[in-house]
Amino acid sequence: MIRLEQVTKIFGCRPAVDALDLHVPTGEIYGLLGHNGAGKSTAIGMMLGQVWPTAGRIKIRGRDVFADRWGALGRVGAIFESPAFYDYLSGYRNLEIFASYTAPTPRKRLLEILDWVGLSGREKSKVRTYSHGMRARLALAQTLLPDPELLILDEPSDGLDPEGIHEMRRTILRLHCELKVTILLSSHFLNEVEQTCTRIAVLKQGRKVFEGGMRQIRRRDRWLRVRTSDFKAAVGGLTEAGLAAAGTGEGMIVLADGVGPEAVARFLVERGMPVYELSPAEQTLENFYLALMDAAQNQPSG
Amino acid sequence: MFSAHLKNELWKLFGKKRTYIGFGAFLLAQNAMLLTFRFTRWQSEMERMLEGNGYLAMEYVSALTVAVIMLIPQVILLLPLYTSLVGGDLVAKEAEDGTLRMILSRPISRLRLLFVKWIAGMIFAGVLVLVLGAAALLFAWMWFPWKGMFVFAPGMVFNVLGAADGLRLYLLSQVFMTMNAVVILSLAFMFSCFNMKPAAATIMALSFLFLNLVMESIPFFERYQEWFLPYHFRVWLYIYADPTPWSRILGSVSVLVAFCLTAFLVGAAVFQTRDIKS
Repeated sequence: MIRLEQVTKIFGCRPAVDALDLHVPTGEIYGLLGHNGAGKSTAIGMMLGQVWPTAGRIKIRGRDVFADRWGALGRVGAIFESPAFYDYLSGYRNLEIFASYTAPTPRKRLLEILDWVGLSGREKSKVRTYSHGMRARLALAQTLLPDPELLILDEPSDGLDPEGIHEMRRTILRLHCELKVTILLSSHFLNEVEQTCTRIAVLKQGRKVFEGGMRQIRRRDRWLRVRTSDFKAAVGGLTEAGLAAAGTGEGMIVLADGVGPEAVARFLVERGMPVYELSPAEQTLENFYLALMDAAQNQPSG
Repeated sequence: MFSAHLKNELWKLFGKKRTYIGFGAFLLAQNAMLLTFRFTRWQSEMERMLEGNGYLAMEYVSALTVAVIMLIPQVILLLPLYTSLVGGDLVAKEAEDGTLRMILSRPISRLRLLFVKWIAGMIFAGVLVLVLGAAALLFAWMWFPWKGMFVFAPGMVFNVLGAADGLRLYLLSQVFMTMNAVVILSLAFMFSCFNMKPAAATIMALSFLFLNLVMESIPFFERYQEWFLPYHFRVWLYIYADPTPWSRILGSVSVLVAFCLTAFLVGAAVFQTRDIKS
């Protein structure tokens, strides 16, 4: 559905996105993670043709975004953090305006969408009177106008209260389930990504440092909880010996490919380190993400 | 599709309160000027000028005469201010508010979007001038009789006309005033396409106009006056001259049209290459 090939964007002399390859398959809920300034919003801007790439190619629905804008974006909906509307106009008028930039949409369809997002009865009120949650629902409504095959959601839960976040999460899953849309979700809320996404990519300083399925992240057999007298030294030794791929500050290590827990136990005992606990662990996305960031930090740049 | 886009741009433009600041300011200014005309020595001075030139003053101190006199300072001072205020908002305000990013996540091309906005801006300029002209005449008519017209602009026009001819030329002058408003709006629109705040776009446009006005008034630049916009903006007054200087008018109209197109194309070229980010 989305394919980025060696996409680079340089602002001044600072690369915001660096040789990014990304493939979002049809039907997935794909999470895009990374710290502030990692390049997520720039990458999304390029996908929507709002930011010109310095190099590389971007295709959506098999069409080049810059050469065939109508073909690429004709059935794409997007939400950005703190969605903006014409506050002095009604919700209905806002939808009518945004719809016109894709194709004229019949009144019946607009009302159906307003009903779907739960804004029926408030469509004639000015947007300035809407609560934050209602604005988020209106933002969602405008993404549904082009009968989308793909939704690009950039921090959709930003600024929402816990109930709003929960509602947004439910809506994303409902959209995926009922309308069969592919979703690209950029979010700071790891919990949200963990509960909704089927696949993720992690960006750090404009570069992709991980891409894979959520199952791969949750695999129990690759994560071990290790309790020893000096965890930091243990991780250093295990990494150096090629037994661990990464470690977190919370007593977890990621086993290297083909390595079992017995090899870790043997290594620690042979080095004279007491082993108080060695148990497989269900890895959370948060631990995985932090470990990944630590590993990327320790890697020499270039 | 084009008509739907245009309709929506007009909704956006005329839906917000700041669009009407100009209309309100014009109405206030006109009434203030009318009170001044009515209750100061202005009227007797004008009668003296007319009688000094051999005309019967009472025949020409009329609604049409007063309306044109009221329009002169408003066209010079207020029209640039309020058209550049709206022109500067057209793109930059949407970029600042974030709605531009919402629009450009849709498949519409940037050039088409700009073109529709520009046309909507031109419609605003036309409506503003129409209201300005109609209100000036209406308010003047409330205080002064409907008689012949006397137009005097030092160095350009001195003419007396019957009421029918005066009204015809008054209506025609509105067309050329609209052209002035469209030029100013296009200038502000061009700056609005750059990566700057709406207020900055308005100030840039006004600064450009002010610089033109100042340079044109410096004696050294007298021989280059055709290079400055205010020289061409005076076309609406030349309409009242007898005989009508059509070659001067057509020349200025050509310059103003070319200026509008250039401003739009420069704005479009800049906007096309810009990165739109939050």
